[in-house]
Amino acid sequence: MSTAEVHDDGLGRLGLLASAISGRALRVAPGEPGEPAWTDGRVVFVDADSGPRERVAALAVQASLLAAGSLHADVVRRLQRRPALARRYLGVEGHRALAAIADLLPRSVRSLIDAAVAARADSPAASLAAALSREAIADPPHSFGAIRARPLLAIDRAEGSAATHQPAPREQRGVLAELAEDDDDGTAVDFSSPVGGGGALGRLLGHVLGVVRQLNGGGPPGADAPTHRTRAAPPAGGHPVLSHGMAERVEESAVGVQGTTYPEWDVHQRRYRRDWCTVQEVAPRPAHSAPPLAADRYGLRRALLRLGTGFDRCQRRVQGDDIDIDAVVEARVMAIAGSAPDEAVYVENLRRRRDLAVLLLLDTSGSAAEPGAAGHTVHEQQRAAAAALTVALHELGDRVALYAYHSRGRSAVHVAPVKRFDDDLDALVMRRLHGLVPGAYSRLGAAIRHGAAVLESWGGTSRRLLVVLSDGLAYDHGYELACGAADARRALAEARRRGTGCVCLTIGAGTDADTLRRVFGSAAHAAIPRTEQLRQVIGPLFRSALRSAEVPRRRGGQR
Amino acid sequence: MSGDGVRTARLDGVSAARASRPYYVPIANEERVFKAAFRQGLSVLLKGPTGCGKTRFLEAMAFDLDRALITVACHDDLTTADLVGRFLLRGGDTEWVDGPLTRAVREGAICYLDEVVEARQDTTVVLHPLADHRRQLPIDRLGVTLDAAPGFCLVVSYNPGYQSVLKDLKDSTRQRMVAIEFGFPPAEIEAQIVAHEAGIGHDAAAELVRLGQAIRRLETTGLREVASTRVLIAAGRLVAEGLSPREAARAAVAGPLTDDATVTSGLVEMINAYLADERS
Repeated sequence: MSTAEVHDDGLGRLGLLASAISGRALRVAPGEPGEPAWTDGRVVFVDADSGPRERVAALAVQASLLAAGSLHADVVRRLQRRPALARRYLGVEGHRALAAIADLLPRSVRSLIDAAVAARADSPAASLAAALSREAIADPPHSFGAIRARPLLAIDRAEGSAATHQPAPREQRGVLAELAEDDDDGTAVDFSSPVGGGGALGRLLGHVLGVVRQLNGGGPPGADAPTHRTRAAPPAGGHPVLSHGMAERVEESAVGVQGTTYPEWDVHQRRYRRDWCTVQEVAPRPAHSAPPLAADRYGLRRALLRLGTGFDRCQRRVQGDDIDIDAVVEARVMAIAGSAPDEAVYVENLRRRRDLAVLLLLDTSGSAAEPGAAGHTVHEQQRAAAAALTVALHELGDRVALYAYHSRGRSAVHVAPVKRFDDDLDALVMRRLHGLVPGAYSRLGAAIRHGAAVLESWGGTSRRLLVVLSDGLAYDHGYELACGAADARRALAEARRRGTGCVCLTIGAGTDADTLRRVFGSAAHAAIPRTEQLRQVIGPLFRSALRSAEVPRRRGGQR
Repeated sequence: MSGDGVRTARLDGVSAARASRPYYVPIANEERVFKAAFRQGLSVLLKGPTGCGKTRFLEAMAFDLDRALITVACHDDLTTADLVGRFLLRGGDTEWVDGPLTRAVREGAICYLDEVVEARQDTTVVLHPLADHRRQLPIDRLGVTLDAAPGFCLVVSYNPGYQSVLKDLKDSTRQRMVAIEFGFPPAEIEAQIVAHEAGIGHDAAAELVRLGQAIRRLETTGLREVASTRVLIAAGRLVAEGLSPREAARAAVAGPLTDDATVTSGLVEMINAYLADERS
């Protein structure tokens, strides 16, 4: 099945209708001209040249067949390579399926039902029995389309093999359980995010828009990136920097000349490897030029406005919860002295103090160079999102830092500070951002641990948020996908336990939802095809991540 | 400020704004449960999706029980003072002004906190002594503790569909409540409700309900808010004003449910499939 764009010719818009009738995510795509409509269980193919009424009827019949269980593999297997039988079956079962959900169908489709034929069977099996019998069965009308056994069975097999993961219970789990997420098979469902892979919006974007690529199996991620050919190649996008020991750069003191070591979770041995990874901060090489800072290009400001604000007790307000005694005394004195008193004599609790530090962690490993949706590479889309988030958060008065990372083995996890917390947001930041070139691998766990450490040391606020922009492929030398997923998941849980909210964003990459869930665990995560959709997911995501970190933060008594 | 989000409906016969019972069709045993809880002085938690009839239910109950209904729309800046009351300055003197909760406690009214989880947790804690056997409201600023007058009933509502909710409503608050769950009514009853409320024919209402039910089936594929009975009634009212069902549904159903252009166009296709272009 092709997952190509299916909504460019207007047919894609019918996906919602097909989904409503079938009760499952279903898309509509153009079939061959003149060919009867058919479905593979995921997509309904209808003749794009047919009239609107015929299209609706054709997709409604196919969706009804799916809703009524008419295309169950057990039945379809019997129809394989027997087109005449399939037609007879459709002649009965089509009417039965439509009648079974008649209450849900538009009036125009209900008129297709032949009640007498529908009454001949009460189940798909009964329709099949009728089709196998010698009874006379009228040919189904053209709008009923056809049943194609082979694609249906192929999809059924694919879904069967993918359906081995049972979602975890959605109730809140404790800190220990959170840290032990990798004790299960790595399929912990995102319970904190309404828009994560398992969330409603995530599914909507994944299924209805239908533009998320699938991860192609075989070979390590980013294996086609040129930087993988030799480990001796100079690091792309940055060069190792020796610390200049500048006292004013407080954040630099977090990392020594030799880098900082972090533990790594060994999923096979089920223990931490101490001081296993070395993270070095490397200065990013600025591009010669970069597009100017676009103010709120993706409309993120509004979504982020109310996040991470604390209450301020404001005095001398014209309204409020309590009387401001000092202001009242002054007002009385002024009144007695004969001048007009100030009426602002109350104390009001106002939610206006920004109390949020955000560190954005941008994946610049080789796999980000892969082409993504809308003709841009994954890197370009993630870079645009990082820039938009940085600008929006900075303008709102939040403390924001942007770091990029990639790795070449455990001793060379390179993290490039594009903007540190105390850097100004200026053209140089944008040039540094545009100077990043994707390459090498992704030791995600170490990057997350370093990002969280920087955030905790230099964020300086009580609310902290770590945002990982990544395609979710954690892979490095001696750090295969399963290891990487378990380690990244644990690193996120560690950060959350220390009161740092974690958000993971995948933009334009084709990583499938299961893989993302394995890597990001219960962190708030969302996979969106285009940067333009960031606005819709960012508010709920950030809010849910901040909330999930609230409890540990309070319990830990940290600032 | 103290009047923010507060609406009072007098239904006590003295200044009855409503002479007849607000239209409400019972779906299950919710009326019996509510009246039993009321007689026992228990607090009530109404759970259900937005626009399914929680507020209307409560208006009908307040009418049946002959109590005033004081409604507070909760929001995340709602403070304890907004509920309980505050001192204001009048000339050179301070004057205490009751908040809606205090007024309900004194008068023995039904106090309805709509979307209670939107309120901050330190605000909802003030409800605890009121919601359990004590039925008392301590007012720190006055240094008094009020006993709730007979007939006082605390009712809170929330929409469990919102993710934040389950986490935010503290267990200690939840466990002081009797819960009544609401859902959208069955198609036949919903068509009856839409026809009555919008003043349109049963057939036109039934087609709107069919569209609404189809949209609700999309819940599993991602539409976060589904078409509530309220939006169907709104569409029906536009039809009653002479708009075609399609025009009405585009304005009252598709528009409010989403801002996403792709989803909107999908909804418009559904509306075209389910509804007629002209008024029947």
